[in-house]
Amino acid sequence: MSGLELAHGRSNRGALPNVKMNDPIESNEPLGRALREWKVAPSLPPRFQEEVWRRIGWAEVHRASFWWSDIRHGIEVSFRRPALAVSYVAALLLIGLGLGMAQGRHASARMDETLETRYLHSIDPYLAPRPDR
Amino acid sequence: MKRSALILVLGAVLGLSAYCGLYFAATASRRTLLDNETPELAWLKKEFDLSDGEFARVVQLHESYRADCAALCRRIDDKNDELKELLSKTDRLTPEIEAKLTEAGQLRVQCQKNMLRHFLEVSRSMPPEQGKRYLAWVQEKTFLPEHRMHETH
Repeated sequence: MSGLELAHGRSNRGALPNVKMNDPIESNEPLGRALREWKVAPSLPPRFQEEVWRRIGWAEVHRASFWWSDIRHGIEVSFRRPALAVSYVAALLLIGLGLGMAQGRHASARMDETLETRYLHSIDPYLAPRPDR
Repeated sequence: MKRSALILVLGAVLGLSAYCGLYFAATASRRTLLDNETPELAWLKKEFDLSDGEFARVVQLHESYRADCAALCRRIDDKNDELKELLSKTDRLTPEIEAKLTEAGQLRVQCQKNMLRHFLEVSRSMPPEQGKRYLAWVQEKTFLPEHRMHETH
């Protein structure tokens, strides 16, 4: 008889005569004894451990692909809305224009400095790097 | 997915093209200067907005000055060698060393005079406003020795 059957009083073999179902367990000696003696020995399905490790391995391998498929799905859903697709293209275009202009100006300023220094070195022998004599 | 990939690639290509286009457009004039035979003089032409005639005169002055300057630099180097030799022979300030220092100093003064004369000639070859700007700039950068000495002390 299982503990559950005891607790609910649904044993096929009939309820124990001294078990009073409404009494607290501390004062219900037969129920308490039955619960103390109750041993659960669950049986695992065959190759349980091997199956657990197989699933862990599979999850590890496919974690990246889950992440990637989430992103892909997000992109697909977003780009179904024309406004978002146009905004994406426009944003990249603007970023490219902004960065190109900023970097171009910076590079031009650097080239100007280089040319200015070259001119100064060409007219001032005290500035010009002198070869070792 | 094909449509999304197309939009993704289109955005990236447009962004990259915009970047490269503006970068190369912004640096085009400087790259042309750098390809020049004398980029520093080409820069001067652009910076001080010289006409072809003014630029030709500046180039002529520059070449003439450079030749004189190189000759004077060789004389200063020779004088320094002589001074070095005298200094290696004694641990006192001899009259010969004093004379050599004076000669070397005179050559340096000559060098600075030549520099200033060149700057003035170049500035006169430019339009008046640009000439004034050139003179102020070049004197600030090269000719005012106090400027650099003050920085080092």
